[in-house]
This record gives sequence, C-alpha cells and structure tokens, in this order.
Amino acid sequence: MVVRQYQEELQYLEKISPYSWRIKKGFQPNMNVEGIFYVNQKLEKLMLDELRNACRPGMVGGFLPGVKQIANVAALPGIVGRSVGLPDVHSGYGFAIGNMAAFDVNNPESIVSPGGVGFDINCGVRLLRTNLFEQDVMPVKEHLAQSLFDHIPVGVGSKGIIPMNAKDLEEALEMGMDWSLREGYIWAEDKEHCEEYGRMLNADPAKVSMRAKKRGLPQLGTLGAGNHYAEIQVVDEIFDKWSACKMGIEEKGQICVMIHSGSRGFGHQVATDALVQMEKAMKRDNIETNDRQLACARINSAEGQDYLKSMAAAANFAWVNRSSMTFLSRQAFAKQFHMTPDDLDMHVIYDVSHNIAKVEEHIVDGKPKTLLVHRKGSTRAFPPHHPLIPVDYQVTGQPVLIGGTMGTCSYVLTGTEQGMLETFGSTCHGAGRALSRAKSRRNLDYTDVLRKLEYMGISIRVASPKLVMEEAPESYKNVTDVVDTCHAAGISKKCIKLRPIAVIKG
Amino acid sequence: MSKRLLNALEYPQADSLNLNDPLTFKKIVVWLESNKIKNAPANTFNALKNINSREWDIVYDKYKDSLGCPALGSRVEELQWLLGHAVQITSSLNRNLYLKYATENMETSNVPVIVAENPLDKLNFRSKEFTDGINDLAKILKIVPHPDPLVTLRAVRKLITKRMAPDCVENPQKYIVNGTPYPIQEAPLGFDLHDPVLNNAANILRMLYIHDLRELQTKANELIVAAQSVTANPKTDTKLGKVGF
Repeated sequence: MVVRQYQEELQYLEKISPYSWRIKKGFQPNMNVEGIFYVNQKLEKLMLDELRNACRPGMVGGFLPGVKQIANVAALPGIVGRSVGLPDVHSGYGFAIGNMAAFDVNNPESIVSPGGVGFDINCGVRLLRTNLFEQDVMPVKEHLAQSLFDHIPVGVGSKGIIPMNAKDLEEALEMGMDWSLREGYIWAEDKEHCEEYGRMLNADPAKVSMRAKKRGLPQLGTLGAGNHYAEIQVVDEIFDKWSACKMGIEEKGQICVMIHSGSRGFGHQVATDALVQMEKAMKRDNIETNDRQLACARINSAEGQDYLKSMAAAANFAWVNRSSMTFLSRQAFAKQFHMTPDDLDMHVIYDVSHNIAKVEEHIVDGKPKTLLVHRKGSTRAFPPHHPLIPVDYQVTGQPVLIGGTMGTCSYVLTGTEQGMLETFGSTCHGAGRALSRAKSRRNLDYTDVLRKLEYMGISIRVASPKLVMEEAPESYKNVTDVVDTCHAAGISKKCIKLRPIAVIKG
Repeated sequence: MSKRLLNALEYPQADSLNLNDPLTFKKIVVWLESNKIKNAPANTFNALKNINSREWDIVYDKYKDSLGCPALGSRVEELQWLLGHAVQITSSLNRNLYLKYATENMETSNVPVIVAENPLDKLNFRSKEFTDGINDLAKILKIVPHPDPLVTLRAVRKLITKRMAPDCVENPQKYIVNGTPYPIQEAPLGFDLHDPVLNNAANILRMLYIHDLRELQTKANELIVAAQSVTANPKTDTKLGKVGF
C-alpha cells in the first residue's frame, strides 16, 4: 500500500464530467486499466471524505476506502475496459460494493474473484405488481402487513414453511426457478420476467460443500436479516409513462410488492469455501493482488470453474428463495382480499440480481468479446433490443429495480445504450451504506427509528427490532441522489418511483 | 419508394426524377427493359424505344401484360411493379452469391434441416395461370400484389388463416389484438442508418420480430402450464416455520 498525503492522492483523480471522475493509473500499484466512479456533488463529498479520513495518520484496520478498492480491482489480471464504481459505492470485502469489473474470458491470465460477487450470492430484488390502489389497501394495511409477516419467515435463524428434503434441495440448486415452476409455486410468466430466466445453466450442486447445503436447506423460502425486506409499496411518481405502461404500471397510487433477498447462509458458505480454495490457487499460479481480500483464481483453472459452478447453484438457490416468497406473498394477498392472485394481477414485473458474475458478450474497442462481468452491488441494465432481455421489455430496455432503504423510496429504472458502452450495461443497486453497521448501532436508537417510521405512516413488522438502526435511512446514502446520478450520467433512465407503506424485516 | 428501387437498380440520377412525367416514365421503361428485364422480342423493344410514337401506349400495355403485371390503378403503381420485377430479376441473377452467404449462416447456426416431401412443390409456380389466380385472389382480399406470386400467396395465406377462420369471423374481438398504442418512433432503435425512411423500415422490422418473439414466448408459457398440470403440487407447512431468533 502506497502511503501518500490526501493532496497527493487527489493528483490521481480527475473530474471528467459533472457526474464522473477518472482514477488514473498509479493511484494504486500495477493498475492494468483506469478506474471511473459516478457521483453527484453530494456523493462526491462522501467519497472524498472517506479517502481523506483514510489518509490521516494512524488510520489502520477496517476496509480500504471505496476509491482505493476500485483502483485495486483495476490491477487484477485480465481486466478490460475500466473498473467502474457506481454512485452507491462503499467499502466491502476486497471489492467495493457498487463495483463492476469485467474480465476477458479468452485471456488465460483472467481471474474470477468471489470478493467481486459478494457473500450474499445473487442477492436481488423482485417487484410484483397488483391491480389494487392505495385506497383499497389503506383500511387493511395493518392486517396485510401482519399477514405478510405471518407468511414470510424473516430474521436470523428463521426457517421456511415450504417442506424440503435433501433431494429437493439438490434439484432446486440445479434447476433454479424451473424447480419452483415444476412444483407449482410460481407462474410461467414469472420465469419470463427474470434475469437468466431464473436459472443458471452451469450450476453444479456436486461442487457445493455439504456444510453449505446443511445451512441452506432449512432457510429456503426465508427472507433473512440485514438489509433484506419485503415491502408493500405505492407508485409515487411515473417518469416514463410508456415504459411504465409496458410494465403494467398505469397510474400513481397503484400497489406493488418488493422483495429484496438473496441466497441466505447457503451463498455465504459457498463464498467462504471458495475463498479458501482460491488462496491456494493464487500461490500455485503466482497471482499477485494489491489486497489479500481480493482472493481469486484464473477463470479456466479448476478452482475458478468450481467456484463458477457453485456460485451458479447459489444463484439458483436465491431465485427459488425469491420465488417461494412470491408464492407466499400471493397467498397473503389472496387471503386478505378474498381474490385469487390471478384476479389481483400479481405478476412479476422483473427480478434483478445485484451480486453476481456472468459471462456476457460486449463490444470492447470496437470488437466483440466474451467477458466475465462481476457485478457486486451493481445491477445489470441492458438497453432496448438486447437479446437477453424479455420480449415485453425489448422496446423499453431492461427494468432495473433499485431497492431503497427502510422507510425511504425505491425506483424502477431502465437500461440504456450509453450504459452498455460505458459500464458494460451496469448501474447502481440501492442506496449504499454511509455509516458502518457498528457506527449506526452506536449513533442511533432503535425506538427513535421505529417511531419515525410510524410517524411517516409506514407499518413495520420486524423480527429483531434491536438491530433496526443498522438499516435506518440515516445509515445510508440518499437513494434519490444515487438514482439521479445514474440518470444524469445516462447509464440508466428513471421510470417509476415507489414509496413504502408497510415493511417486513429480519 | 420507387426512387429507392431505381437507386438500387443504379438508374442514373434517380433522386432528381419526376416520376409523374410521362416522358420520364417512358424512358425508365425502356431503360429497364434494355438493362434489366431483357424479356421483350426485338420488334416490341424497338417500338418501345420509339418514345415519341403515338402507338407507344398500346405497345406498352401489351409489353406489361406479357410480363404478367396485374391490372393496377395508375402508371405510378405499374412503375412500382415493374421496378419490383426488375429487382427480382437482378437478385435472382445473383442468387448463387446470396445463397453462399445464406448457407454460411446456416452452417454456423448448426441446425439440422428437415426437408419434407410436399406434392404442392411440383406445381409450376411461374405459370401464367398460377400468377393470375394468385393476383385475382389478392385483389378480392385487398392485398397489394408482390411481383413474386409466391410472396403474394404467403400474404394471402396469412390473412385467410388468421382472420377468416370460422371462430374468428364469429368472434373477431377474440383475435383482433386490441393493444395500447406505443410511440415506436420515439423508441431507440439501437443503431442509425442515417436515413429517416430506412430507420422507419428498420423499426417496423423490429416490431414484427418482437411480435413473433412474443408469440413464441406465449407458446413456451402454454407448454410450461400444460406440464405444470401434471407436476405441480405446491405445499406449505406452517409447523415448520420459525420467525426470527
């Protein structure tokens, strides 16, 4: 690690547009490509303050600042284009959360890194629409929130209510949402409106450790804790009438359900197991990185392939998980309104993954290339007419679901051509932390947080209220700043704004 | 459109022509015959070349009938047809070249091709009888005839199977899609052909493609639902559930 004064560090950063900064080579050692991060004025201050704090003498331990992490990723072997920091970027394990990095699959030196995917593999957001309006739901809001809370198991150590045995799990890991379809938990249209059609074909449950399976089995169909939630939301604003219309959102006041969850303990164990393997592979293949947390292996090595196969199984786990919760949410609504989910038009608008690595085709320097795109805390945002997005969204571009923080708002964006060129079709994923969990716990009081939500008219059901301050809006960046930056920079386009009226949390 | 076809056929200064001018029309007909169509016997061709003759219209009518041009409303439409005919002749001359690329594409897509025996293949699609029959049918159905009768036939078939099935005639609202309008002109195309007309055409092709894709996806969904009726058995057991710690 280079030790420099803050002013010296700034020499390596250059503002190239009102919404983006370039990180020049030399900011960190051995950078193969440059870095870029997207910020507006407010987010810029957060970014630079973080760097300034890290430059103070005696600052050791904890994660590196986000900018440094973006630059370290730019030094990994085989990276192409740029190491991209999205507006919600904040420090994470090895890779910053909100970092996109792509590696050339045909370069034998190229690597895959579990740190570039994150521990909660295929953490993502799913949005269901309904044909209900705010006035239909307001009188029964508390009942509905309770009913959702009763149907969807939440919190650390929660257990699912869909009976599964070891064989079912093996099949689900291999088949992803096809398993949920086969068993009848979801609709055919759900699969159509999901990234990868809800199934990574290269998943191999045999590459997953027994320990991961043991952790995963009881947790399937549970929401989890941390920043995961299920929310009943109201359409607050429509920015792009036509695209919203394609998603079945006609008017303000329409009710939607957002589910934000991932692969629970299963994905965490898969990532942990892979990190151990990769440390060995790095020694054997002499792979040098700037940060020990950037453990990685060559894509074509046995370790790299094993990780990709087990990561795919974890991705399938997460899709089955969100599908099971979709099923449970539909049941909760159906019971409350005495109508079938069909009659309530509870279709999946889309399902995005924001912690994943995928093989994709992109144009690099005018030539088509096959890349392994790591998106950690970053959402795929493909432009109109891309072959990998559902037919219903061919003219609008892929819907991008941005989950806000508890009690703030969420957004639906669409992918753009410019995003495809600049960020390999990637955009932000949420608000992004501003305070660490520990700092939130020290600075905030959970009763205040709950009272504030009540004051805003948001019903809340939470399994572990004493941890609720970790997820308070004060602990996060402002999601509207993040989304506005993506919109202004042109890497995705604002479509719908949603505000919560009821929150279910771990 | 006619000017585009003229351009495609490399007619000199096609852009600055006035197609409603009878003299221009005659010149184009002569040029087409001498350079592209090359079908008329020597005496007809000579008579056509004499564009100032009073007999020209009579010669022309005979000439166009001999090419199989259906009865059309105006000279402009006839010109359109003649141009289409010429383009078709030119492209069939280059058939082998196109075929080469087509087979290359097919080889790369690596899909086995199944050729089925069809008695209709033995029909003579180029005969006058067949062409006239198709053109008459098209006229009844109000379809604009294409110079290639097989293309016209395809359009005829599409209309009949889609809109003339007994169930469709009885319940048209079930079949005629009543979609919400969408401003496709404003939708990004993803590329630019530097020509508004071509961009528009590309946009229409895109919409047709999306339409086909939607149909395919609907069929896939129907298949899944059919399979689900055999396999699905969703269960929940609230006794298993545990919330929080």
